[in-house]
Amino acid sequence: MRAKPSLMLLIGICGLLMGNPVLAGSRLLGTGGVMQIEGASGGGLSPWGVLAGTASDNEVGVTLGATRADVDDYHLVVSGVAANLYDRVELSYAHQRLALDTLGGHQAQDIYGAKLRLFGDVLYRPWGVWSLGIQHKQQVEGQALARVVGARDTQGNDIYLAGSKLFFDALAGRNLLVNTTLRSTRANQGGLLGFGGDEGDHRELMIETSVGLFLNSDWVVGVEYRQKPDNLGFAGEDDWRDLYVAWLINRHVSLTGALLDLGSIAGLEQQRGGYLSLQLSL
Amino acid sequence: MRTFCRIAVIAILIGSVSGCAGQPVASPSLYQRLGGETGVHDIVTNFLINVADDPRIVGYFAHTNIDYLAGSLEQYICDISDGPCTYQGPSMARAHQHMGLTDASFNALVDDLQNAMMMQNIDIGARNALLGRLAPKYSDVMRDQ
Repeated sequence: MRAKPSLMLLIGICGLLMGNPVLAGSRLLGTGGVMQIEGASGGGLSPWGVLAGTASDNEVGVTLGATRADVDDYHLVVSGVAANLYDRVELSYAHQRLALDTLGGHQAQDIYGAKLRLFGDVLYRPWGVWSLGIQHKQQVEGQALARVVGARDTQGNDIYLAGSKLFFDALAGRNLLVNTTLRSTRANQGGLLGFGGDEGDHRELMIETSVGLFLNSDWVVGVEYRQKPDNLGFAGEDDWRDLYVAWLINRHVSLTGALLDLGSIAGLEQQRGGYLSLQLSL
Repeated sequence: MRTFCRIAVIAILIGSVSGCAGQPVASPSLYQRLGGETGVHDIVTNFLINVADDPRIVGYFAHTNIDYLAGSLEQYICDISDGPCTYQGPSMARAHQHMGLTDASFNALVDDLQNAMMMQNIDIGARNALLGRLAPKYSDVMRDQ
């Protein structure tokens, strides 16, 4: 499953860049965001209120994504796939594998996601679009380490409410996209270090937020912030933030780059680095 | 040299302050930024050409009097962009009722309009401002589908 999305991505991109006619959704460019690290449509770090790709009310779409993030002592590789059914439901799967470059070893998890668009539209409705999502996360590698550092479980469910709204002509004539997500979670470092811990075993409500400015119709720059719990006594956990630029090459292909500041991870301070994500939508 | 600089700076400051106070520069209306009567006429023409070439939505216009639609659209855009017109056609809800419009067709239409403006090199701020004024009409357009 891991290699498959990447391979399909490559083949697909070659086809799409050559201009082969492929059905696209009719929603406007950029209104599906990009694939975030947990497989849902969003920014890089957080799920947004919009659903993946450009499928509208009588269309379906499939999105594939491949992401790599490199910080000082770790690197993360994510491959994911998301389906958008009639711009109402999004189903996603992502595989995350974190390499502990300094400490040694790997942590990996599978994430099964579902997102239901409750109401609204990111462009046309005054309150934007709001969706309710769930992410079922299951560690598939490194469970022992998670237990050792104090995690209570090696699987968990994040539940989130996300809203997105585009403000036309907001800043220097440009359109501004604003996203807010409330997430109920017990996950340590997104789940890669298990769920719950010696210093907190209950769900907590975390806020995630981002803004993106469309410089034109295919370039977006912005910042993201994701608050995180701090359940493990052995090491502090920090909130995540990034500065990103996304190039929406066309309705099918996008490339996102970001500068990451992930704070302290498993006792190693100031994890900063870069992020690159390639996405293909059909 | 220093004194000269100081005097020069003060002179510039005074000049700019009095310039602001003396002649308030009226910022151009959105209608003017879209190119006025000619600009809006061209936007509508290009838009309708795009629609005619768009298999996603051309079907909706099979029984439409295109000349009447063009005139009506020009008047509508002129009105909402603060131009010297008053739209006299039916409300958006009435004009679109029972057409069986979908979100997909609405998006396609916006796409065609956006492309029409890009073809004419309307600046991005004016383009976004017009889209921003049209976007809230979605609720009216889709009310009775």
